[in-house]
Amino acid sequence: MKRWLRDNSTGYLFIAPWLIGFLVFTAIPFVQSIYLSFTRYNIITPPKWVGLANYRMLLTGDDLFWKSALVTIRFAVISVPLAVIAGVTLAILLNQNVKGISVYRTIFYIPSIVPTVATSVVFIWILNPTTGLVNSILKSFGVQGPAWLADPFWAFWSLVFMSLWGVGGSMVIYLAGLKDIPIYLYEAAILDGASPIQKLRHITLPMITPVIFFNLVMGIIGSFQYFTQAYIMTPSGGPQDSTLFYSLYLFNRAWKYLDMGYASAMAWVLFLVIVTLTALVFRTQRKWVHYGG
Amino acid sequence: MAAERHPKTVIRWAVAGLLLIAIGALAAVGKPPARKYPNRVPVHFWHRWGGEWEKVVAGIADRFNESQSTYEVIPLSTPSGGADMKFMMGVIGGDPPDVMSMWNGAIPQMAANNLLTPLEDLMSTEDRRFFEQESYPVIRQSGMFRGKTYGVTIGSDLYALYVNVDHLKEIGVDVDKDFPTTLEGLCQLGTKLHRFDQQRNLVRLGYDLGYFQYLAYGFGGGFWDDEAGKLLLDTPRNLRALEAIVRERKKIGHDVVTRFTSGLNTGSDTGGWPFITGDLSITLDGQWRVEEIRKYKPKMNYRVIPMPPPAEGGTPMYGTLSGNFMIVPISAKHKDGAWQFIRFWSGFSDREASAACFNAGGWLPLSHRAVETETFGKWLRENPQFQAFLDIVASPNCKPMPPVPYLQFLNDKIGRAEDRAARGYVTPKVALQELQRTVADELAKRKEMGYED
Repeated sequence: MKRWLRDNSTGYLFIAPWLIGFLVFTAIPFVQSIYLSFTRYNIITPPKWVGLANYRMLLTGDDLFWKSALVTIRFAVISVPLAVIAGVTLAILLNQNVKGISVYRTIFYIPSIVPTVATSVVFIWILNPTTGLVNSILKSFGVQGPAWLADPFWAFWSLVFMSLWGVGGSMVIYLAGLKDIPIYLYEAAILDGASPIQKLRHITLPMITPVIFFNLVMGIIGSFQYFTQAYIMTPSGGPQDSTLFYSLYLFNRAWKYLDMGYASAMAWVLFLVIVTLTALVFRTQRKWVHYGG
Repeated sequence: MAAERHPKTVIRWAVAGLLLIAIGALAAVGKPPARKYPNRVPVHFWHRWGGEWEKVVAGIADRFNESQSTYEVIPLSTPSGGADMKFMMGVIGGDPPDVMSMWNGAIPQMAANNLLTPLEDLMSTEDRRFFEQESYPVIRQSGMFRGKTYGVTIGSDLYALYVNVDHLKEIGVDVDKDFPTTLEGLCQLGTKLHRFDQQRNLVRLGYDLGYFQYLAYGFGGGFWDDEAGKLLLDTPRNLRALEAIVRERKKIGHDVVTRFTSGLNTGSDTGGWPFITGDLSITLDGQWRVEEIRKYKPKMNYRVIPMPPPAEGGTPMYGTLSGNFMIVPISAKHKDGAWQFIRFWSGFSDREASAACFNAGGWLPLSHRAVETETFGKWLRENPQFQAFLDIVASPNCKPMPPVPYLQFLNDKIGRAEDRAARGYVTPKVALQELQRTVADELAKRKEMGYED
């Protein structure tokens, strides 16, 4: 034990700030929320044990739970593949040897480092139906744009399109993946007379599948936790709950209605869904992710 | 290498590094401004006003500080959207304000969770007499929960019609002679005032009937039966109110209205209010706008008129009250100081000084006594349109919001019912039935969880 301490104490000391922060702000609340999900708790008075009542009501007596889950699933199903396609396409385009390519890369990357709150506020203006940029452009083509955030259909799609704003973050990772592809593979393909499409299909895409896999997993987790943009742009869940994302409903339950026990139960359902989906994606990787190189 | 790995050396470096980080963090946070009266008892006051309004509130705190020599009120502006969360975190974390200005809709929930001090505990006999006998009943009740007072107003809010006189003149209507006395007449007038472009997009909204939570009272409806102590949701009177909204919305088209209104500025301290800019001819809005017009467009030709009732079965001078109410956390450190500040602003003590506070923001006072002061009288002569709100607040048809601890949930669902009906997704009847069912489900859930509703 003493030897172990002597050998490892320095390392643990260096990571102590992170370790303490992780324990206090993540690990302990994480474990505590399991207990809280079986209680009635309003953060002021001590929790009161209610057994499975929160879970029962969640699954059988709360329309908004199902509605918010559907909104979130729909968003994930649409936005994650969209982000992968957009990210890969951009990365391939920005992997060309043209003059000033690093400038283009920077331009596409910058939006992903702009704070989400600032982006959301800017998008509220961009999507303003009368004075916003989008409708002004549409108007110049003779098209009357919708009331983006006030229409149940368009409010959801506005957030989907907006999610592409930050695609520069994954684009950089795809770009790194592209740079990692051995050049001799392309040389061999050229000798075999492969067309650009064939090279893309049989070399580029298979070789970056580990990166796609990583972004896919992160994308699924992120889309199921989608909150900030919806909270700022449509705080009450949008018209007809069209943007009532699961995390937004969870937040409202916790802080607006002071229903922490219920919100904890919601958080655990979300956690289990994300773990299950991630596990499923991991199981499929043997069939489509290629680690050779 | 051996020296580098010596644990003591490493610890010293680590501690020095952590200290540097801590010092850097502290320097980044900065120091709070120095206190003006360091020898006095500090009274920490949190409020929800920002921008120009924050300066008004700071001025009122200054006036209180100058009026006595025991306490120093230290105001802090908190973000309006997250103020209740910040308040709760303050209480739980053991660092609450001594007094806070809170939207009264949050009071029942906070009181039910034992977060607030019953203010009767802080009142003197004379304070209680004044409060019980001389305050406007609707304002007094709006700060109460289960028979106790948890909030005293420092500025209540009511709604009335703001009418652009010049727009009415355009269609030959003299606002002082011809303004409709019924809701139906108002809607007809509003239709005449709409202006469209060539694509039939609104460029000016004459009047749009809405705000079910307010309008229901005009039909003799509402959401709370005070005698029976129960909610009223799917009632014939509420149904009539919702049907009127849906009927009027159909005439112009819901999409046409939302496209126009969702593009309008709704801020309250920038002078960009669409009524001021001429985008709205007649609109239902709060009394604080009188002060806003005085500040940003003093020469505007306008009137404030109470919402007319429907021709049949209506109740005149109606509405429901909300606004800013002072609350004192159960764990406040300086409750006496908090109460003295509330007394000063709300008019328990110096009524002239209190009137000046209410006038500074164009807020409705706690008592008619404030209105009777010379200060308020002078301000009212300069801002005669404010009188409409004083008339409404004194009316028995002006009601407090339902005193239930799940009020935020209830308000959300009432708004949702109106939206669903106005969009034409369901009929008004079905919208109210859904509302009734949703609230009943929530109440059943609360009952199972052991809440005392």
